[in-house]
Amino acid sequence: MPIVTVTLFTPLLGALLVLSGGLHSARRAHGIGIATTAVTLLGALAMWARGVGPSGFSQVEQFAWIPSIGAAYRVGVDGISLPLVLLTALLFLLAAVYSARIRERAPAYVILMLLLETASIGTFTALDGLLFYVFFEVSLVSMYFMIAGWGHEDRQRAALMFFLYTLLGSLPLLLAILGLYLGSSPHTFDMRVWIAHPPLSGTAATLALIAMLVTFAVKIPIFPVHTWLPAAHVEAPTAGSVILAGVMLKFGTYGLVRFALQMTPEAFRAAGVVILILGVVSALYGAFAALAQTDLKRLVAYTSVNHMGYVVVAVAVAALASGPAVRALALDGAVLQMVSHGLVTGALFLLVGMIQDRAHTRETAAFGGLLQVVPGLGWAFVLAAFASLGLPGLAHFPAEFQIFLATLRVSPPAVVVVIGIVVTAALYLRAIGRTFFGELPARWAAMADLNLREWLAVAPLLVLTVVVGVAPFWVLDVIHTTTAWLHL
Amino acid sequence: MNPIVPAVLGPLAAAVAIPLLRRAPAAPALLGAIVALAAGGALAVGIAHGTRAELLLPGLPGLPLRLIATPLTALLSLVVAGVGTLVLIYAVGYMKGDPERVRFFATMSFFIAAMQALVLAGDWISLLAAWELIGLSSYLLIGFWHARPGVGAAALRAFLYTRSADLGLYTAAFLFIAHTGTGVLPSAPLSGPAATLAGLLLLLAAMGKSAQTPLQDWLQRAMAGPTPVSALLHSATLVAAGAILLIRAEPLLTPGARLAVGVVGGVTTVVAGLIALGERDLKRLLAASTSSQYGLMLVAVGAGAPLAALLHLIAHAAIKSSLFLGAGVFQHARGGTGFARLRGAGRAHPRVFLGFTVAGLALAGVPPLSGFFTKDAVIAAALAGRHAPLLAPLALAGTLLTGAYVARALRLLWRGAGEEHRVPGLGWMGAGFAGLAVAAAGLGAAVGPIAAWAGGPLPVASGAGVFGLAAAFAGLALGWFVPGARLLGPLRRAAEGGFALAGGLDFWVARPALALARGCDRLEQALYAGVLGIGRLGLTLARSVRRGDERGIDGLIFALARGARTLGSRARALQTGLVHRELALAAAGAAVLLAALAVGLAGFR
Repeated sequence: MPIVTVTLFTPLLGALLVLSGGLHSARRAHGIGIATTAVTLLGALAMWARGVGPSGFSQVEQFAWIPSIGAAYRVGVDGISLPLVLLTALLFLLAAVYSARIRERAPAYVILMLLLETASIGTFTALDGLLFYVFFEVSLVSMYFMIAGWGHEDRQRAALMFFLYTLLGSLPLLLAILGLYLGSSPHTFDMRVWIAHPPLSGTAATLALIAMLVTFAVKIPIFPVHTWLPAAHVEAPTAGSVILAGVMLKFGTYGLVRFALQMTPEAFRAAGVVILILGVVSALYGAFAALAQTDLKRLVAYTSVNHMGYVVVAVAVAALASGPAVRALALDGAVLQMVSHGLVTGALFLLVGMIQDRAHTRETAAFGGLLQVVPGLGWAFVLAAFASLGLPGLAHFPAEFQIFLATLRVSPPAVVVVIGIVVTAALYLRAIGRTFFGELPARWAAMADLNLREWLAVAPLLVLTVVVGVAPFWVLDVIHTTTAWLHL
Repeated sequence: MNPIVPAVLGPLAAAVAIPLLRRAPAAPALLGAIVALAAGGALAVGIAHGTRAELLLPGLPGLPLRLIATPLTALLSLVVAGVGTLVLIYAVGYMKGDPERVRFFATMSFFIAAMQALVLAGDWISLLAAWELIGLSSYLLIGFWHARPGVGAAALRAFLYTRSADLGLYTAAFLFIAHTGTGVLPSAPLSGPAATLAGLLLLLAAMGKSAQTPLQDWLQRAMAGPTPVSALLHSATLVAAGAILLIRAEPLLTPGARLAVGVVGGVTTVVAGLIALGERDLKRLLAASTSSQYGLMLVAVGAGAPLAALLHLIAHAAIKSSLFLGAGVFQHARGGTGFARLRGAGRAHPRVFLGFTVAGLALAGVPPLSGFFTKDAVIAAALAGRHAPLLAPLALAGTLLTGAYVARALRLLWRGAGEEHRVPGLGWMGAGFAGLAVAAAGLGAAVGPIAAWAGGPLPVASGAGVFGLAAAFAGLALGWFVPGARLLGPLRRAAEGGFALAGGLDFWVARPALALARGCDRLEQALYAGVLGIGRLGLTLARSVRRGDERGIDGLIFALARGARTLGSRARALQTGLVHRELALAAAGAAVLLAALAVGLAGFR
């Protein structure tokens, strides 16, 4: 059975199913949404059970699409993409569970989310350049409508900014893809060919790399092209933020590895120091910018810039590494960091959304002493916050440890980036202190703790945060299978 | 079963079980600690019979987690579990009636489990992980009464100070793993400048946890938690971790790094001793004393005698936990630990005062109590070590100051009178307290066996005993007869301000960091405005272009519209309203789609 294809298109099928029932019943739409995302998760688990082989891609499924130009429907996974597929399927299920309270135009909302899920899984599994680009762009459109249709006060502007920013950002990628296509002989869009025999060299490779870097830098995002991120997050609905941070930012870092590093390795190595500096600056800038925030959602959004900055550092270190062992170490850290960030930031955005649902504000100054009325929500936030600041035993620690260790081995001065973990500690503890510790303002005295739906949405992420932190090897084994054999 | 497993898993299982059971939370906590104690005993017995237990767990690729039992680690495990058990016994009484007992005992159990992992760690990652987890536990326990004002700030300060210093351990661990290719402890020593750098980084980490100057400030403010927390934190867990790190890493230190360790310890023992002398709150006095005593341990490590540091660490664990537990009884009896409240509290509780006095005199180094022997070993190490002219006077000054602040506290508790409250749960509190006080008194007898067990000769230096005794008794006499303010003289103001240099770390680190953050935020707004500006510019450009081409474009659009209308009328011809024809067309369309799908599937491999 073509499990990858089935998993990939199950959400689309669900979207058609919702559509077929007309755009009226919210209950039916949410029911289909949850069922479809659950089936998709089962599909992703089946893919996980099948695993990956030591070299190249596994579980490849393909058939001709536009044979005249060498484009084909090709999907498959390796140790870099498989964990991201599983993460995507999980986050969409939880987002669907959380969103079940949305009544306003629910069927349209569910359809968009399911469309976005297919696009997201497609982006991670596509092995054809053109196919990748199509999925990459479709995801953009769905997210635009999600923010514009279900976001907060200033959503139209934020959505437009998000759309224009990332659309303009993604045009260079199309040029790079065309360049790779024209450079390969015979002409093909097969990404496996591009990886095995990088088609470009010299100036052409450098130009292609620059084009790709522009696209992925916007998506990741890297300072200074990150400004769309806080704006989009602040206005996006909670589930949108979860998907945006948990899944869509990974398009950027995944592309950085899959395209920039693997398809233009020489140029990447030559530019490695520049990219490393960009990553270090981005990570530290994100941390300090987050320290200045008083809006909980903006704060979490900026920590994403910090955490994704570490991934950029790791990929640059992998390019600069002299030996395969250090390269594998850096890439293990990079991929695990993407997974951890999805789990932890997903949980944080859900929890901030739950606070907002109750209080209709996210300003820390408005709160205080919430642990006294909502201990479940409060301790869940504390756990997620400590995970985000990189505490051992929680998901970010093994990833960041590997990244920092590899950085020290390849480029000792860049290890200054480790200061970020102190800054994130400071900002989360401040936020916890202001929101959950101290005296309780009288107006929050009747706040209700998490209900069953909310626990169902957030508990799996918290459990996995601990599981990945304590036993990272169950993910790392899969990642390492590929990274250990990666030849650049 | 490998005894390392229950040594960590005992308290850890308790930490998990307590919130699940919710009833009688003290029982699983005590059980867990006792299991850990028994496991520590089993480890020691195993070592005596020549088997060194080791536990390997999967960690990162190529870097497995490892816990090991060596004479040193097994001994420390016994100390942690022993002090932990007695403090928990005390806590049963102390926490009586607190509605959040479940959370308290669960966190305490987790704390003990993390500390067990730290002392037994056999690789850098386990060490680092446990190191940070005890930081988390301390944060949660210092912040235990989170609704009270100021508690959150104290917990935040403790975690941030220690975590900033933890960067030293992170970087040192990276250096060792990068240069030796393995994470195993004890590491092979590094060579060249990296070796000294690594040593200094380890020192930085230890300074944060062991509250050494200039990072001592957080410890005194960490009094916001329940007293059993302070007792555990100051004796065998959080603060001890710093000294334990340096004791274990002593073979890796270069001469330069060793000197730095000794100087930091020597300066701290004097500075913190002076701070203690200037305090007006018993618990804060004890906290400053903790920094001072860990300073002495660092002096011993710096002098090349980690064994002396280890001995003082063990004795201090018993002494300081008894002092805190005693102070906790006075606190309940008088409703606070400010000196104004405590006058004569000892006279009202003679048995507690007896224990407190024994522990205090042991701390001062009065024979035959434990502190006499261990302080003697530290002073001997300082005198016999390489930098004796520098380190020995500092160690003796620290000893003198210890005597002075101990005498000051004892005098305060003995003289005067105050209003007494009834103290509930005194039975449990007394039991835990008595156990630790007995250890504080009698551990001196164990100094010889422990030294033999840890496998090193005790440092000896002629005159060490005489100098040490003279300093201790001189300090006691000064502290009893001369008021603290007079004793400090011109240093009084500085001591009361905690010797914060020009505003302290808040001024030098926290404020610049926050200013930088605000700067980033301003840049952020400028960038955002810039992007919007570019967007507006684009729109303006588009408008002006449109104005220029209005006619041409309009013409084009009208032409398109005309074309569309024509097409539309043609299409209308197809939609004649006859159902059968529309159905036929729909079916044809579907057939085309199905064919495409079939072709696609046929091509599927």
